[in-house]
Amino acid sequence: MRLAWRAELLKIATVRGQWLGAAIATLALPAISLLVAATGGVGAGDTVTSGAATGSVAGLLAFGVWAATLAAGEYAQQTMIVSLTTVPRRSVLYGAKLAAIGCVAVVGALVSVVTAWLVVWAVLPSGVHHLGDPAALVSVVFAISAVSVLGMAVGLMTRSPSASASIVVVAVLLPKAAGGLLGGLQRWVVGASPGTVVTQAVGGAQLPHNQMFPGGAAAATVTMLLVATVVAVGGAVTLVRRDG
Amino acid sequence: MHSEDTAAGERTAASIVVEDASKVIDGVTVLDSVSFVALPGRVTAFVGPNGAGKTTTLRAILGIDRLTSGRATIGGRPFAEHRRPVQVAGASLTADGAHPRRSARGHLRVVAASNGLPDTAVDAALDLVGIAEIADLPVGQMSLGMRQRLALGSALIGDPAVLILDEPHNGLDAGAIRWLRVVLRQLADGGRTVLVSTHLMTEIEAVCDDVVVIDQGRVVMAGSLGHFIGGASMEERYLDMVERG
Repeated sequence: MRLAWRAELLKIATVRGQWLGAAIATLALPAISLLVAATGGVGAGDTVTSGAATGSVAGLLAFGVWAATLAAGEYAQQTMIVSLTTVPRRSVLYGAKLAAIGCVAVVGALVSVVTAWLVVWAVLPSGVHHLGDPAALVSVVFAISAVSVLGMAVGLMTRSPSASASIVVVAVLLPKAAGGLLGGLQRWVVGASPGTVVTQAVGGAQLPHNQMFPGGAAAATVTMLLVATVVAVGGAVTLVRRDG
Repeated sequence: MHSEDTAAGERTAASIVVEDASKVIDGVTVLDSVSFVALPGRVTAFVGPNGAGKTTTLRAILGIDRLTSGRATIGGRPFAEHRRPVQVAGASLTADGAHPRRSARGHLRVVAASNGLPDTAVDAALDLVGIAEIADLPVGQMSLGMRQRLALGSALIGDPAVLILDEPHNGLDAGAIRWLRVVLRQLADGGRTVLVSTHLMTEIEAVCDDVVVIDQGRVVMAGSLGHFIGGASMEERYLDMVERG
């Protein structure tokens, strides 16, 4: 598994578009947070921490689409044939891909949130906003990791970069946008969706009560991670069972 | 020669054995009880018309496609069960298996890393297939012939006991075809098992020891080349068997 994981990381490192995609995804969150902070978009009731998280949806979309296109691209570029002849044990190949994409997502998300917090803290007028709880930004790392895993799994299931990227966008944006249609399920679905999980954790913009996950931010985070795990298992089963 | 089961430098000969292999896709039987053996020290030609089931069989041997029934093994085991697969079997199923924006060297580094091979194996493979000079070019900027050589380098990087090639002559110029002929012969003479699917009858006559003919998903002949052609030309015998039934 370790060798295959190294090879997966090397795949990313040896194609400019792939590492550049991860770098851009890393910059997306702090760039949007900076924009919001610099243009007065951080409200009086917001903290530096919640201000730093305002670009979370951009980070979620960027990492999710990156992971989805990376995984599905193996089929689109026909490189999966070489991957399967060099690492024919599919559970190992899947684990290696999951570990490589997960590592990049976790490291990228950490860099994102630290950078975002520092730039927002530097840009906001001093003494006006409380710092908040910077540790709450770990929810952003969890959310980005979950969306990246989801993107990778969906990429391997659909084998289509455009279809998998679309599914990621829908998974990130649709729950909140279409929450009203969900009736009694809204709190469960919207409350555990990645963007809302971050909002609940950092305590920023007030969410309507019907979008707050029953049980609080921690339960919402755990539910989101469970959903990502279920999708990841689906991706694994698909890779193992289907012809290459 | 590497071997996962023996000390370094010691060669393990490995046969390819396909036993009663069948594959049904969407109700269509694409392989029907295919059985044959490719032996160490011999180049085995795998021939048949387009759509006969050659590529499906090769993919099944490598575990890329699942068989509906039957079994395909390399060295007595399904390919996926080998610990260092690249050192057991090298495969070239397409000239387009490398990412077009990755360099040839980068592609081979990925293959080497996946099986714990050192970077010296990358340089050796580049030299062996004659693309060291253009190793840092993106694969997408390479000609089909160069990409075919890269695919062969990827197959040979682990110095495997078994080589499986699907139409490796596609895109090669006359010099490269002659070069490939020599390489395949040397590999077989060195004790390796070489299974090559090709439509070039002249190359089969020039380099192969054994022939497996497949048509409509069934093996219609498997045996030595000499026995198969029996004094006629390969093309004549093949067309006689496949096109005239």
